[in-house]
Amino acid sequence: MPEVQSSSRAPRHRARSVAVHAVLIAGSVVMLGPFLWELVTALKPFSETTQLPPTLLPHHWQLSNFTTVFRSLPFGRMFLNTVLMTVGRTVCQVAFSAMAGYAFARMRFRGSAVLFALFLSVLMVPGLVFLIPQYLIIEQLGWLNTLQGLIVPMMCSAFGTFMMRQFFMSLPTDIEEAARLDGANPWQVFWRVVLPLARPGLLALTILTVLSSWNDLMYPLIVNTDPQKMTLSAGLASLQGEHFTDYSVLMAGSLMATAPMIVIFVLLQRHFIQSIAFSGGK
Amino acid sequence: MTPFAAQRTAGQPARAGSRRGRRPSRNHGWGWAYLMIAPTTIGLSVFYLWPIAQTLYYSFTSSGPFGGHTWTGLANYQALGGDPSVGQSVLNTLLYTGIQLAAIPFALLVAALLNQPGLRGRSVYRVIFFLPVVTMPVAVAMLWRWMYQGDYGLVNYLLSLVGIHGPHWASDPDYALYSVAAIGIWMSFGYNLVIFLAGLQGIPAEYYEAARVDGAGPVRTFLRITVPLVSPNIFFVTVLTVINSLQMFDIAYMMMSTPGSAAGTANPALPRVRSISYLFFEKAFVEHDTGFGAAVAFVLVAFVVLVTVIQFRLQKRWVHYA
Amino acid sequence: MVLGAAGCSAGSNGGGTASGPVQLTYRIWDASQQPAMQSIADAFHAAHPNISVTVQLTASSEYWTKMQADATSGSAPDVFWMNGPNAQLYESNGILMPLSDKLTANGLSLSNYPSSLDSLYSYKGTQYGIPKDFDTVGLWYNKKLFDAAGVKYPDATWTWQDLQSAAAKLTDSAKGQYGILAPPFGQENYYDTILQAGGSIISPDGKTSGYDQPADIAGLKFWTDLVKAGYSPSLKSMTDTYPSQLFEGGKVAMYYGGSWDTLEFGKNPNLKGNTDVTVLPQGAKRAVVIHGLANVGYAKTKHPKETAAFIGFLGSQQAAEIEAQQGGVIPAYNGTQQAWVNANSQFHLQSFLDEVPYSVPFPTSKNTSVWQNQEATVFGPAWDGSADVASVAKQMAGIMNTALSKEK
Repeated sequence: MPEVQSSSRAPRHRARSVAVHAVLIAGSVVMLGPFLWELVTALKPFSETTQLPPTLLPHHWQLSNFTTVFRSLPFGRMFLNTVLMTVGRTVCQVAFSAMAGYAFARMRFRGSAVLFALFLSVLMVPGLVFLIPQYLIIEQLGWLNTLQGLIVPMMCSAFGTFMMRQFFMSLPTDIEEAARLDGANPWQVFWRVVLPLARPGLLALTILTVLSSWNDLMYPLIVNTDPQKMTLSAGLASLQGEHFTDYSVLMAGSLMATAPMIVIFVLLQRHFIQSIAFSGGK
Repeated sequence: MTPFAAQRTAGQPARAGSRRGRRPSRNHGWGWAYLMIAPTTIGLSVFYLWPIAQTLYYSFTSSGPFGGHTWTGLANYQALGGDPSVGQSVLNTLLYTGIQLAAIPFALLVAALLNQPGLRGRSVYRVIFFLPVVTMPVAVAMLWRWMYQGDYGLVNYLLSLVGIHGPHWASDPDYALYSVAAIGIWMSFGYNLVIFLAGLQGIPAEYYEAARVDGAGPVRTFLRITVPLVSPNIFFVTVLTVINSLQMFDIAYMMMSTPGSAAGTANPALPRVRSISYLFFEKAFVEHDTGFGAAVAFVLVAFVVLVTVIQFRLQKRWVHYA
Repeated sequence: MVLGAAGCSAGSNGGGTASGPVQLTYRIWDASQQPAMQSIADAFHAAHPNISVTVQLTASSEYWTKMQADATSGSAPDVFWMNGPNAQLYESNGILMPLSDKLTANGLSLSNYPSSLDSLYSYKGTQYGIPKDFDTVGLWYNKKLFDAAGVKYPDATWTWQDLQSAAAKLTDSAKGQYGILAPPFGQENYYDTILQAGGSIISPDGKTSGYDQPADIAGLKFWTDLVKAGYSPSLKSMTDTYPSQLFEGGKVAMYYGGSWDTLEFGKNPNLKGNTDVTVLPQGAKRAVVIHGLANVGYAKTKHPKETAAFIGFLGSQQAAEIEAQQGGVIPAYNGTQQAWVNANSQFHLQSFLDEVPYSVPFPTSKNTSVWQNQEATVFGPAWDGSADVASVAKQMAGIMNTALSKEK
């Protein structure tokens, strides 16, 4: 589909661009819905969230739901915990996955196929299986209620290794060959030549890792009990009562928790822009 | 089981060339490789592979909810055969996976559209398409329940405008799985998009330039250039979609469980939505039968391994590596 | 920094009096009760300056997963909430501290609580939990709809027949208005009617299911008939939208709801002045399910003495009064319930207390959830009319008996 703009085919181009936008806008509406719903619910008083049929826009705008979140949770502390956990996990996962992924994509070593198959097998086991065994290991290490307890088990990623391997395999090899012939050792080739080329892949993995650890719920909840060591997703989950949940407050909390993710994505996504300029000229 | 022999295209020179004296020896090359995979190997072994081995052992035992395991051999696996919900769960899981796979081409298409140079509002679209991925699951569940509500939900309201009387999407056994699958697509779309966009970045502009000079239209360019060049990423997304779909649990749980009821879940459509992972969750965490749960989990694992091995075997035919 | 909270490894120390300050952990699962529990912990600390208590909140949906992990690794909290369905599982696996020999020393007497609750937390003659609160089920009704239809409000004289005929009069399909909500819920619906018909969900010895008895089938049929007659929204509608919310929507006249609904209904301005509650109508006899939580201690706690002392305080009148004033639940300590009634004077909450004398404990077995979790899906077909009540009841009895026979 990518096509170089040229004014000679303007009418056809315009028709096509209208069609493209129509598709994208239709998709956007579906994708945007939940978010707007979250926002609207967060601005309603509780009684309106249970109204039948539901009100689209709040009859009474209520901003106090957001302050209620601060009252019921040590929000700032939880936010900090989540940031630290996410940064720790992401930095390690991206670095280790890139290293391992490169080794599997470009190097031949004894046992590589078997090891790779073993790593992949981790992905094939339902996540819930790991919950209690990992908890027991962390408990043995005496890391319950600590930051390292949240980070260490997720420092390495089978998913990331597989993803980076696929990216490296799709990169052209000639530049690496040239560097090797110049006498660079494998680590130098990887560090100086390959990583800069793999930026889109690293970025995609960064985004996906940040996201999954930001929203990770079950594991932090199991290894942590102290509210001061709790992450945001676990803190929000505790807002749900046994017979009664104030959904307006819950949505306000969810919005506050996800806003940073959106900001990060907006900031990072500009790096997705084509790095190699079109010779056809823009 | 070694279907994963690293693919090499013919034009690629052999690695660890030892023809010249200054080159590191083959073993030396191995050293580098082992060094690079060391952190991942250690981390995965301790926190994933070891728990997998433990769970595999538990699947041959009768286990209490709080530990304590007695070896019972194949008893759990035999009990699986006698459990009527197992067969239905396998069918549900396969159907769900099929639907998820069918959505992948659309994600690639949207990625290609978004990647067009000079597209207006590209960054806005990208953010919007990514929103479902960042939305908190509890908000997602609420929203979709409201949309699927049979009596005054948004979906049926829109259908009523064109004179269609819609069903109860989330609680009618004939529709519930499709409704859950729709949420699955909606949630993974942005995820796949990120991967495809990254893959599209790696395609040098000259290819498109050459295609344009040859007079190839957009459809042909897409099929002849875009698809083959991002095929490693398509392969990755496909493998991952299969793995994740076969393990589907969260979305079904969100839609099927009834919060606040002392009686637990009460959705009449559950038997037609229950995935294998869901069954594992019920056995291990609700019914406290850890051993049987482990057996269910490993039936699922065997299943996923089988499908993934087949995919790796088939990749030679269509995946194009640089 | 390093709060080794609940880091009680299975190290068995004799449990002598700790000389220094002792830190206990107390785990709960209901956010709306956290302030009350914190006040109780503070009051306890004021009385025992050397013992401080940390209240930990874990949401109910993850609470049992977390408890299972903690109990497996031997690091459960010192004191925590227990409910009926899980009680025997934890008691029979030696997770809970036996309390029978610690009652008097810690100022506890079982006669202070409804006996149906005491029995819920005793196992093989030993008491493991001290009742904390309770809930019963009442008949909530929408006065506005009753007035419009010219039907007399329900009261303590009502029988099943009165309810059925009122449901018929209050149903108006043209307006999308229903007489009653008849969801397939155990505690709120068919457990009560089965007991009222003279049946039982589980035999007194906990070995056999009662679902194949004629009385049980009658108790189930009470509800399926209401759905079949069109007096209740369909099963699918009640699945899509939670019944209490349908009731709050103002289109349904009657609803069997728990005492816990007080919290939500009291917050809803649309219900002000037009909603009230009374006792359940009687069948062959009067009966209602009573369920309540208990406070339990961890068998492997490092501080057994202090743990028992805190459980003693949690079971005291003083703690119950704090709960009555601040929590949305009915305290279990006899005589302290009035404060809860007075706190929500817009509803006739005395009804929930009037039911206690004929209340029956929530049915449980050693591994309750194995069979209880399947009730909804097994009974579903009878509710939507695709299966006959007697046959699903017999099917459920079979499932339940198999599950019970596996309980060792």
